Amino acid sequence: MAPPREARGTRLRPARERAFWPFLLPALLVYTLLFVLPSFYGLWVSLHSWAGPGSEMTWRGLDNYLALLRSEAFLRSFVNTFVLAVAGGGLVFGATFLSMVVLRHLKGRAFIRSVVFLPMIVSAIAVGAAVGFLLNPKGVVNDALGWLGVDAQPWLGPDLVFKCVIGGLVWSTTGFYIALMMSAVDSIPAHVYEDATLAGATRWEQFRHITLPLTWDVFAVAAVLWVVNSLKVFEIVIAFTTGGTPGTPPLQARTAAVQQYVSVSMNGVPELGAGAAMGMVVLLVTAVLIVLVRRVTRRDRVELS
Amino acid sequence: MTAVTARPRGTAPSRPLARLLGDVLVPRLTAIALWAWVVFNLLLVAWVGLQSLKDSGQVWTDPFGLPADPAWHNYSSAWQAAQFSSAALNSLVITGLGAFLIVAFSAPAAYALSRSERRLAGPLTGYFAMGLSIPVQTLAVPIVVAKLSLYTFMEDWVTGWWDDRITLLIFEVALSLPFSVFVLTGYMRSLPHEVEEAAEIDGCGPLRTFLRVVLPLARPGLVTVLVLNVIGLWNSTLLVLLIAPTPDQRTLPAALLGLYSSMQYSSDWGGLFAGIVILVYPMVVLYLWLGRRIVEGMTAGIGK
Repeated sequence: MAPPREARGTRLRPARERAFWPFLLPALLVYTLLFVLPSFYGLWVSLHSWAGPGSEMTWRGLDNYLALLRSEAFLRSFVNTFVLAVAGGGLVFGATFLSMVVLRHLKGRAFIRSVVFLPMIVSAIAVGAAVGFLLNPKGVVNDALGWLGVDAQPWLGPDLVFKCVIGGLVWSTTGFYIALMMSAVDSIPAHVYEDATLAGATRWEQFRHITLPLTWDVFAVAAVLWVVNSLKVFEIVIAFTTGGTPGTPPLQARTAAVQQYVSVSMNGVPELGAGAAMGMVVLLVTAVLIVLVRRVTRRDRVELS
Repeated sequence: MTAVTARPRGTAPSRPLARLLGDVLVPRLTAIALWAWVVFNLLLVAWVGLQSLKDSGQVWTDPFGLPADPAWHNYSSAWQAAQFSSAALNSLVITGLGAFLIVAFSAPAAYALSRSERRLAGPLTGYFAMGLSIPVQTLAVPIVVAKLSLYTFMEDWVTGWWDDRITLLIFEVALSLPFSVFVLTGYMRSLPHEVEEAAEIDGCGPLRTFLRVVLPLARPGLVTVLVLNVIGLWNSTLLVLLIAPTPDQRTLPAALLGLYSSMQYSSDWGGLFAGIVILVYPMVVLYLWLGRRIVEGMTAGIGK
């Protein structure tokens, strides 16, 4: 890790400036070679028809993309991902906002915050296996429904499993968004709320007119984060669909990530071009959604003077 | 807190309906829901542990009772059935080595980015941050291709053998770099410069300054990033399924998935719950130990 010579001779720079490249290069190289360049390589593959190394790669231009637009399975998976992002996002942020109304002064709030965060660090596969046991056709949930006189439901069957996936996802990620938003709420000075209380504002109004405007910046970032993450949802679908529906996950429950995984790894001869094209579409949609969410959440910044 | 209950009556205009909704109904119901959620989470963690100690009959017939007689054999059967023994070893090595390598790569880079006054430092930080918004699907096919080509290349030309687990480790590290560099750069920016400047004046070279002064100063942040990566790598599934899915090479989440999908045939439900415990409890213990840091680390750099 010797500092480069020319920097030492020509200009008097602090030592850490001389060390800039030696310190940065290892990470920069790994990131560029194994992350950024493969992304471009994915773009290249997506323009071809290819079964993998060793077989011939034939140019298809945009045909892979056009085929995706005509593929029912792919469109379905995209609609599912969209439903998940919107419905799940509504539930996650609804619950987060409600928590922000009370979590400022509730007794045991630190404890609540840390326990609702807990599912975030638990493997989605484990959640799927444990909850799958409860939701089994002959499982506990159906037994309980039976006592209430409700018919047993095939929770993990093709028609209902996606709702369970959304529920599981909301359950496991909301704690993260609560932690994120509450860390912003914590920095609002207490006197603002005291003034509002004296003026007769209810808890809900305090949230509506103080907490939300003052944390809107963080909410904008959280919304982007939610969108980016919901486009990647994979493990929890696999986990929920492994129990009730053996084989590949049913079309009704596939997200874009699952659809891509199925098409790359489960069918006999992998069609890598189509798989890569899906990856590119997801990247494009992510970029568009980030811009869109940014625009929708853009407001004038509220600052306390 | 007390200001609310001690509010002098009559100072505020009385609006009974708004008060009922905004001061009583919404906060009360939310509080009840939050506590119910807390209880559910805690019970779920405890319940999984209890289930893992029941024999497969009792798992079904008495899912909420206490285990009649601790069935420790569930653990040994999980250990053997889905090759959890090799999966646990794979998980430990890949998680430990991977998290260490990620920090070893990202800490010097973050230090360089946070301290440099070069014009390039800003764009380069953004270049790393860009990786945060690239979904892993974009890389899925290139990773599969890289895995296959790397295997043939190494076997034919370089070492004569190769193990897909090394490929897995390499990509786990590469894919975790953007987040780690991003968070650590923000963290190092917040550290004081004075001590390292003093070390430089005393004739410390950049490497020694970094090792002796910066790393000890940045320890809390480094530990947080290390732990976050441990959690991420321990639970990582998609990359394992893409790169190293065979029973002897996969890690614990993939092994649990394999065990779960064999339930229709084996019905060793006690063993399944033992598998869940093996996968989940280490992370729960880590969370009990370092919980606040984990939460702060995951939300850092975003909320502020």
